Formats: sequence, structure tokens, C-alpha cells
Amino acid sequence: MKCLEGLHLQQRPSKFSVSLAPEEGLVCAFQLEEEKENEDECVCSDQAPEVKEEGCGLGDPAIVSAFQNTQVPQQRGLHSSHRVKVSGALGMSSASLHFMWQSVFPRASSPAHHFGPQQPSPDPFLFYSPLTPWPPKLSLPSHLTQLHPQHQQILQQQQRWRRRRSPTARSVPAQKPWSREPAASDAYANLMTRKEKDWVIRVQMVQLQSENPRLDDYYYQKYYQKLEKRQADKELLGQKTRAESLKLVTPYIQKPEVYESVVRIEGSLGQVAVSTCFSPRRAIDAVSHGTQEQDTGAASSQRLRVLSQIEKMFLQLLKIEEGQNDGLPQLYHTREQSSQVEKLFQALKTQEQNNLEEAADNLLQVLSVRKGKVLVARLLPFLPPDQAVSLLLYITYHLPLLIQRDMADQGLHMLFKPLGKYISHLTFHQLLHAMQGLMLLSPGSSERPVSVVLQNQFGISLLYALLSHGEQLVSLDPSLRSSSDCATWTDLVILIAWEIAQLPAASLAEPLAFPRNLLPCSAITWTSN
Amino acid sequence: MNYMPGTASLIEDIDKKHLVLLRDGRTLIGFLRSIDQFANLVLHQTVERIHVGKKYGDIPRGIFVVRGENVVLLGEIDLEKESDTPLQQVSIEEILEEQRVQQQTRLEAEKLKVQTLKDRGLSIPRADTLDEY
Repeated sequence: MKCLEGLHLQQRPSKFSVSLAPEEGLVCAFQLEEEKENEDECVCSDQAPEVKEEGCGLGDPAIVSAFQNTQVPQQRGLHSSHRVKVSGALGMSSASLHFMWQSVFPRASSPAHHFGPQQPSPDPFLFYSPLTPWPPKLSLPSHLTQLHPQHQQILQQQQRWRRRRSPTARSVPAQKPWSREPAASDAYANLMTRKEKDWVIRVQMVQLQSENPRLDDYYYQKYYQKLEKRQADKELLGQKTRAESLKLVTPYIQKPEVYESVVRIEGSLGQVAVSTCFSPRRAIDAVSHGTQEQDTGAASSQRLRVLSQIEKMFLQLLKIEEGQNDGLPQLYHTREQSSQVEKLFQALKTQEQNNLEEAADNLLQVLSVRKGKVLVARLLPFLPPDQAVSLLLYITYHLPLLIQRDMADQGLHMLFKPLGKYISHLTFHQLLHAMQGLMLLSPGSSERPVSVVLQNQFGISLLYALLSHGEQLVSLDPSLRSSSDCATWTDLVILIAWEIAQLPAASLAEPLAFPRNLLPCSAITWTSN
Repeated sequence: MNYMPGTASLIEDIDKKHLVLLRDGRTLIGFLRSIDQFANLVLHQTVERIHVGKKYGDIPRGIFVVRGENVVLLGEIDLEKESDTPLQQVSIEEILEEQRVQQQTRLEAEKLKVQTLKDRGLSIPRADTLDEY
């Protein structure tokens, strides 16, 4: 199995922390001294003893010159197999790498320069070899290096499947593909040590880590979800032969969270600026101060205030929605989410209670902006029923005003669906109260507010839905029929029917949905006539 | 099957025989010995293979350190099927001559094209500003 098993990944961190620790004699394939120690642990087992013996003789000038001699024909033709064996006896990396330097820089051909183990060679590889000194604070704590939870889960699942399929063959986890024993003839194999390979893997992994994969890596996450879903569907259909799709192994490593642009060194006079790939040097240390609350004095800024408030609440709402569908189990979120929703609901409400005397209170203002309507419509599904019902009552009560303000952007109807779900939560009394508000004659006009409602699509839809709910309550609960509420209800219905009859049929709006227990409006007009 | 991100997936290909196509059109064949995160490659026992028509020739080159940005594609060579090719191997001198001829004809064709376009009052961008691959 050519894959990074979960087990391996969990082992890996300890190795990394070793290779990153600055005190440790770090491995560089191009430094002979260290290689001697290093090969003991890193070269695969069948070569190790050989390497040890010969490696110690590397300092010997005789051997060095022997090397040099073997190398001349090497450059002419590299296919002669005996030469492979000759240098192979020396352990692969030292020999082959010196070839390399010869052929790469043929002019700087002083043997002493190339072969003296003590000579520090100008080594461009150092720039990206494991020797590059990493700031110690970046050596990640091993316990933080782990798979992305989702991947971990999948890998474990895969392991289980494999075990189930072949219970005897795979008792040990699969080997890392690169740790396979090389062919015996290839004496140059394993030029890259395990540590170096792990280092490269790690560097690549670190780039991919993300605290919020849905945000940073949206398309891959979506694609992956789709892939998983398709596989799950296939399995449901009973297709045993799962084509295993490629999977990207991403780790979850916590980022070094603090950004320190300046390190203070004990006893030093100046400050040293550090920059790493994780925390690049900040060219501009700008912090935005502009978003502070502006003073709200003038009437024009009142509207601006409402707009900015909607904007803020919308961001909150987006966060709530994001928490809702990030695919994790609901349990983790419910508490946090409900507190967030509560906060948002209070934010909608608060202003209203503070200055009741103002004709246009906060919620009304929010609802007269298109984005505010969207906000309320999207927030409604998250609200607990009692809060949603209070919103519904509020909207019903202020329906004529809202309709007047909605003339421009015609956005109210998007509230109908989310509101409609909560109509069934209304008690008879609440319903009656809300409806009566619509029937009151306002002092200055001869028109009842309900006539405005009837001429608006959202208004008439909501009204019909409310009437339908009322009728349902009356028919289901016999105790209501004898109460005085029932008489009021009947009066109300008759009054509305009369209002409908008063209006010309053409000016009635087409309702978004027509409740089944109401007669079509033509029938109503006919009966009332 | 899982794969690792970026060039780390190349680690599985280490110590296998690879064909590497470079950005300048050269083809190298050798054993991949070492890689890093930039896909810089170390090729060992490398030959440069020149293809002209149905013929090809190998020029032994030795060790290559290839800067990663110059790699167009790289693929493993199946050692068992390596000799199973319809192409005919010829000597280095011959293939170099073939290549020279091919380049000559290509150059002439190019010149002709430019000249014809010029006659018609058109101009094409200079060839060296275009990346061939």
C-alpha cells in the first residue's frame, strides 16, 4: 500500500523534532564527517556494516585518489557496471556526491578542495537542506502534529477494511514506500536519507496546514466531500470493487500563533528583526482604526447607523450559518450557536425597547432596508419558536407600514416562507390580537389598514395564512367556539371578507400560497355579496 | 491510494529510472537520486536522448542537478519495457548530424515564413520571446 498511514504520520513528529533540534548534529549529505555517524542509523540494513568500515577510511588520501581515478572514465560513460560496484563498496552517498560536484563544477577541480572531509565546501544545497537553521520556536510540538480529523477518520476506516479483507497478510501496517529495500545491484540507492525525505515531506505538509480548511481550501474540501459521497453511494449499492481514489494527505499542525517581529536578546542594545516563512517581516505595521463608532447626531447618520448595524449583524449571521453547515456534528455547535443567535436577536430588539417613543424603531428600520429583510429571513430558521413568533407578531402588527416602505424594492415576500413555518406556533389569542391591529381604523383616514395589506402580495399571503391557521384552531378546539374570542374571530373574518369585497378584484394581489381550508377569493366575494 | 502534497509525492520515485523533459526541449534519462520541495532534481547516470524522427541517440552526460522550474515533465521508465520501442538507436555522431539537419530545415522554414509574412505586411513576434514548451 503506497500511502502514508495514519500510524506513520503520528510517528513522524518525533522524528521531526529530532531533525530540527539545533543542538543535534544535523545531517547533510554533503558533509562527510557527519555522514559517517549518520549512515549508521540511516542507511538500510544490508549496507550498513560495509559502510561503517569503509567510511572510516575516507579520510585516507590513498582512497581519495583512488576515487579520483575511477571517476575519469565515469564521466565518459556511466553505464559500466563494475564501477558501480567499486564505489558502491564505499557507501553510496559520499562517492556519488563527489562525482556530482566534479561534473557540476568541472573547473574547480582541485582534489583537495573536493575531497578533504574537513574542508568546508561552498554548498548551495545548504540553503534548503535540513541544515538550514530553523528558529527553535518553530520546531512544532509533536503532539500538535496530527492528521486533519476527517482524513484520520478515513485512513482508519481504510485500515479496518483492509484488515477485514485480508486478516493475516496485513497485521503490520504498510511500510512507507520509500523505505523499501532497494535492488541489490543499485549501490547508489538511498542517497537521500530518511531524515531528508521526511524533511521534504514535512515542508510540503506545513504549507498545506490550515486552521479553517473550509475557508482556505474551499474547493478541495467540497470536491472531497463529493468524492466521499459518491463512494458511499456506491457502497450502498453493493459494489464491492471500490476503485480507491487518490487522496491528498494533509496534516493538521498548529501554526506558531504569535507573531514576533522583534526578538529581544538579553544584554543586546538593538532589536533584531526576524522573518521566517511563517511570519514574514511586516513591511507596514498598519492597524485599522477607521471602523470605530461614529457619533450619531444628525438624522442622516441615523440611516447610516442602521445600515452599519445591519452589516455587522449580517456578518454574525454568516458566522452562524457557517457553523451550521461545516459538516461537523450538531452537538458541538448547538450551545455556542444558540447563544450567538440569542445575541443577534437581542441586537435586533434592543433599540426598540430603549426609545419606544420614536416612531420608527430599530427593527422597523432594519426591515425597511432590503438587506435587513434578507437578514431577518435568514435568521428566522435559527430562532427558537417563541422568539420567531414574537417577530412574526411584530411584522404582522406593522404590516401596513412595512408594505409602504417596501414599495421600492419589493423584498418582503422573501420573509413569507420562513415566517410561514412559525404561523402554526401562534396561539389563538396571539393571532386575534395581531389581526385586530390590522382592522383598527386609524384616526385620519377612512381606510382600514387591511386594505393596504390586501393589495400587496406578501401582505395578502400572510393574511391568508393567518386566517387559515385561525380557522384550523377554531375547528380543532371545540372549547374555543363558546368563548368570546370566537365571536371576535367571526367578526374579524366577516370584516376582512367585507374589505375584500369592497376592493375591486383586479387590485387584489395574487397570494404566494393559497391555504386549502379557505375558499378561493372569488367565492368569498360572491358569498358576501 | 493516497498521495502526498507537492513534490513530496516524488519521494516515492526516488532511485528509479526517469525521463525528464526540460523546458529547453532536452530530454534526460537517469536515475532520480534526490529531490527537494522545489522539485529540484538530482539525476544520476544520466544520458541525454535526442529524438529525430524514428531515430534516437544517447549522449552520456553523468550527473545532473536540475533546477525544478526547468522541469516540464518527468516520468518513470519501466525497466522491463525499456528496450521495447519502435525507435531505432543510432550512434551519437549520426544523431547529432540528424539533429543539425532537422534544425537547419526548421530554421529555413521559419525564415521563409517570416519573409512571406513580411511581404504581406504582417509581423510575428520574435521567436526567442516565445517559450517553446
